[in-house]
Amino acid sequence: MSSMDIPSSGRGGPGTSDGADGTGAGAGHERTGPAATRLADAPRMSWLTLALMTTASVASLRSAPTMAVYGLACVFLYLLPAVVFLLPTALVSAELASGWEGGVYRWVSEGLSKPLGFLAVWCQFAMTIFYYPSLLAYVASTIAYVVDPSLASNGLYTAIVIMVLYWTGVWVSSRGTKAVAGLSSMGLVIGTLIPGTLLVVLGFVFLGQGNASAAPIDAAHLFPEWTGLASLVLIVNNFLSYSGMEMNAVHVSSLRDPAKEFPRTMFTASGMVLAIFILPALAISWVVPSSELSLTAGVMQAFDAFFQYFHIGWLTPVIAVALVAASLGGMLTWLAGPSKGLLMISRQEGYLPPFLQRLNKEGIQQNLLVTQGVVTTVIALAYALIPNVSSAYWIFSVITTQVYLIVYLLMFAAAIRLRRTRPEHPRGYRAPALVPIAVTGLVASAAAMAIGFVPSSQFGSGSVWSYVVIVGGGLVLLGLLIPYLFLRLRKPGWRSPDAQAELAAQEAAERGEADGPEQGGAA
Amino acid sequence: MTRNPMASRHRWIYLGAIVLLVGMLVTALLTYSELHETNEANRKAEQLSEALTAAGYPVPSQSQIVHTLGEDGGAVCEDPADALKQAQWKYGMSNGASGPGQRPVLSDREVVFAESIVLSVYCPDKLAAIKEKIDDLKLDDTVRN
Repeated sequence: MSSMDIPSSGRGGPGTSDGADGTGAGAGHERTGPAATRLADAPRMSWLTLALMTTASVASLRSAPTMAVYGLACVFLYLLPAVVFLLPTALVSAELASGWEGGVYRWVSEGLSKPLGFLAVWCQFAMTIFYYPSLLAYVASTIAYVVDPSLASNGLYTAIVIMVLYWTGVWVSSRGTKAVAGLSSMGLVIGTLIPGTLLVVLGFVFLGQGNASAAPIDAAHLFPEWTGLASLVLIVNNFLSYSGMEMNAVHVSSLRDPAKEFPRTMFTASGMVLAIFILPALAISWVVPSSELSLTAGVMQAFDAFFQYFHIGWLTPVIAVALVAASLGGMLTWLAGPSKGLLMISRQEGYLPPFLQRLNKEGIQQNLLVTQGVVTTVIALAYALIPNVSSAYWIFSVITTQVYLIVYLLMFAAAIRLRRTRPEHPRGYRAPALVPIAVTGLVASAAAMAIGFVPSSQFGSGSVWSYVVIVGGGLVLLGLLIPYLFLRLRKPGWRSPDAQAELAAQEAAERGEADGPEQGGAA
Repeated sequence: MTRNPMASRHRWIYLGAIVLLVGMLVTALLTYSELHETNEANRKAEQLSEALTAAGYPVPSQSQIVHTLGEDGGAVCEDPADALKQAQWKYGMSNGASGPGQRPVLSDREVVFAESIVLSVYCPDKLAAIKEKIDDLKLDDTVRN
């Protein structure tokens, strides 16, 4: 057992979740008082581990066949959103995390108000409940593709796969942040980086052999076809490809020197996410004609066709397992992140009942995870076993992404306000031109929310107003009404004095670090 | 303190994950049956190539078609109208996100109609069940040809 594996004496604080991943605990700043106790107890991870976790949360090869259909234009479809959404998210998160530990709930609490901080992390947390069933159903169908395609339409099989994998994920998450960090990093490397590199190398081999690309690669195909609203919907909705980049900032206190290391984490993760999204999609578009990118057989068909060209079809089951590993690694980060943020603010402000604030001996929000798991189980079983639910499940992805956009609206607004109201607060990194950048992010998020009310292909010939009512109703219920009820029903006695003392110590420690050198330029 | 995750108290979790992945890999490699080239598979592939060409779609190589669709269409023809399959392909008609940012878009009609052609060649009996659902989709031309 390493020194970092010793359970801390200060269990009960949210930052006391785990041991180290062996990346240098104790080498950080010398701090004294309660903050020192808290920080010494905090889990330790390297900035690279956090970058891998961030990348695992956001990017995988799952979307590559979908975007390969657009050929060379997929570069534009990823780069434009990167400029207006990824860049603002990365820069704003880097600055805020270098000044305030705790993630999005803390940034919004400091910049706007504590109830809005709760709203931000609630929205981040709540939308994942609907995300897990669809993610794990995809995992089930990926396994089915190689084992027995008929399983993909078997409700019992799908339900069993979802339940087993989800609850295993909850158990792993409850063992501590270190386990999540290790497995999600492993999932990214095995499930995305290695197979992604293979796809890109084979793509270049294909072109190097003198073959003509299946999708034209010339200047005329740099941009997607402009057809008005449909193209706008496609481009603006792609902003959301990068959603989740800020989520792992909740673990920033695990870094030895968050002020310097978190910006490095964000920029490294941004580079990896861009590469993972763009390069494999391009490679597939070179080798596999869009007519063979099947709708009903899913993304595995594209990988199958890709490998069949090179007569290495045996790699199809290998990439299936890789995709499963990447999906499960990504799921772990989502289980560990938002629930931790929700716990932290709820302990400080008493927003959740004490039962949901209770921690296990690892310092993990186990009751919150289990309660979330019960709700997810009900939804997942309905998805797997009730045909009307599964065939209409896509509508939840519209609602939950709308809910998630509330987080971004609040985050960008908080960043702008904090620059104005707290310019003197020490920040290890100051984003250049933060206000224009945050305004760009704010406008991009608002545009994505507005475009979310445009009926998608799946809605067919249904009434536009029905769509608006369904999406708007879901947004209000999940993103506003439920968190309002939590705020309304909270009791003063639900606050944890320990958490409030920790927050005070944290604030003192942050203010006391003003002497560190700052990077970047001020707006 | 060490950098080796296997030396930590979570080593059993890591080992369990590795065993699970290796087990899945072995199972997948053993159970996955590649579609082999047969006269029927070749005939169907030629038929599909002609149909795609006539419709103005890019045509995959004969080998690609044979080994991904075989004689019976493989996974494409496996109960495409089923609710769970429908959930998957409807969810898949989305933007470029692979995380929780995944949401539907107004998809291009090319992939959907190419799918109809594949179904009409390999499993025409299954086409009718899904045609109504495909016809109900609101599609556009966002892919530049």
